[in-house]
Amino acid sequence: MMVTNAINGLDNLGQFARFVFRSIAASVESCRKSATYPLIWTQMNIIGVHSVPIVMVTGAFVGMILAIQAYDQLAAFGAEEHLGVLINISVVKELGPVLAAVMLAGRIGGALTAELGTMKVTEQIDAIKSMGTDPVKYLVAPRVLACLLLAPFLIIFADLLGIIGGYFVSVIHFGINSRAYWTFSALGVELWDVAIGVIKGFFFGAAIAVISCYKGFTCKEGAHGVGQACTEAFVASFISILALDFALAVFFKAIYNTLWPVKSLI
Amino acid sequence: MIAEEKNNQAGSVDSNGVIVLKNLTKKFGKKLVLDNISLSIEKGKTTVIIGPSGCGKTVLLKHLIVLLRPTSGNVYLDQRRIDNLNEDELNQVRTRYGFLFQGGALFDSISVFENIIFPITQHYKITNWEEIDALVKNKLTMVGLDGFQKFYPAKLSGGEKKRVALARAIALNPELILYDEPTTGLDPIRSDVINELILKLQRELGVTSIAVTHDMTSAYKIADRIVMLHKGKILADGDADYIRNHPHPIVQQFIHGQIDDEDLLSLQSNETTSPSQFVSQNSKN
Repeated sequence: MMVTNAINGLDNLGQFARFVFRSIAASVESCRKSATYPLIWTQMNIIGVHSVPIVMVTGAFVGMILAIQAYDQLAAFGAEEHLGVLINISVVKELGPVLAAVMLAGRIGGALTAELGTMKVTEQIDAIKSMGTDPVKYLVAPRVLACLLLAPFLIIFADLLGIIGGYFVSVIHFGINSRAYWTFSALGVELWDVAIGVIKGFFFGAAIAVISCYKGFTCKEGAHGVGQACTEAFVASFISILALDFALAVFFKAIYNTLWPVKSLI
Repeated sequence: MIAEEKNNQAGSVDSNGVIVLKNLTKKFGKKLVLDNISLSIEKGKTTVIIGPSGCGKTVLLKHLIVLLRPTSGNVYLDQRRIDNLNEDELNQVRTRYGFLFQGGALFDSISVFENIIFPITQHYKITNWEEIDALVKNKLTMVGLDGFQKFYPAKLSGGEKKRVALARAIALNPELILYDEPTTGLDPIRSDVINELILKLQRELGVTSIAVTHDMTSAYKIADRIVMLHKGKILADGDADYIRNHPHPIVQQFIHGQIDDEDLLSLQSNETTSPSQFVSQNSKN
């Protein structure tokens, strides 16, 4: 039984790796063919533009909650004017990208899986194949490219609203001096920190799209199959976001430590 | 033990057919769906595959265009083996086919017009839209649905969906058309419209047609040859008269739509229990 499970697990992993490879190849080919640009543009509108409000709301609440939670600890040391550093570095480097990606996984990942899963069970994917078209090129590549290219922009929106949300709670609610708030923020948050968050967006976007499309392509028959695939897509996307975040944090920290000495945030 | 038809024996299949299956076996996990099938499809003829639900008809049809790959055995198109081609090579081969899916498989997010031009846009760069408009009009006229260009699939009835799907399947003027249950779910008149369309396409375009069905009226009307599948094997293979007079009891039972003794016995031995009886019986326990 265990051996069978292990073989099945390896088989699934192999199929997923093959799907990832085909998706990357199809995406690269799509970039070179102007005929596919309208498909990518349509997906960018669905995936990117329609996600802006929800991602901005998420970012704003992250900033505000951080301010509420961290103020008392810093005020105990008389360091409340450093609140901006703590909020902004957390938002741009970690919480903004990760929570924006989680929102995307829920909003976009589920929709992608449900759409492609329904297409699979109603034989629409077979129909695409039967007409001599590669469904990975036609369906997956535009979605992967749209997610890959727009996730970083959505993270910038989340960061922006996170910073504004943190500012409003810190300065207007807690009465921290505005100039001091921004001065310490500027000293503590570097362009490097912002760049790390944005770069993570490319990885998160690609992971969400590929996992969601794969789950749609491999979903089982019937309404239950589609529902199960959506759940699995979100869970797998969520875990991959956290795993990628950890791996990228380790990677970027190693680079940073090599290039610059470690400094205190406060 | 089921006696198999002569051309199902390994190695005896006519290899000059436009599509040839040699010793094709398909398993899904441990379930054997097609069992060492050999079949040659004649060019320009209509071959109808019949058989009870779940006997592997659709699986066989999907192997003809390599939408499914065999567990063992080979598929040949014009004597070229195609079951071992990669997806890019297969995409070129598949432009020679049209496939009418059981439920139509129309893309529901785009209009009828866009559905029909889909295969064209995938393989040709459209420069003259007037020609495309005329082509779509021509295909829809063939299926009796001119004027439906702007409709979306959700607004169409089952029969209309099938006819639009047929218009899409013939958009590239294929040499081979595969029909999966073309008349299932349609009323007798709509079924006959689809049958006439299949005959018309064969007459006017000279296509090779392979249809899967369990509708015997349709099968007798359109078939040059009927192949009956049973439990993953070919049970009977010949023209309509041959099938009508086939001595095998399972063939006779199928074509006349008769219940077998075993099923009849099973129905008679199970007394009907109403839900209220079930509740009261349980509550007593």
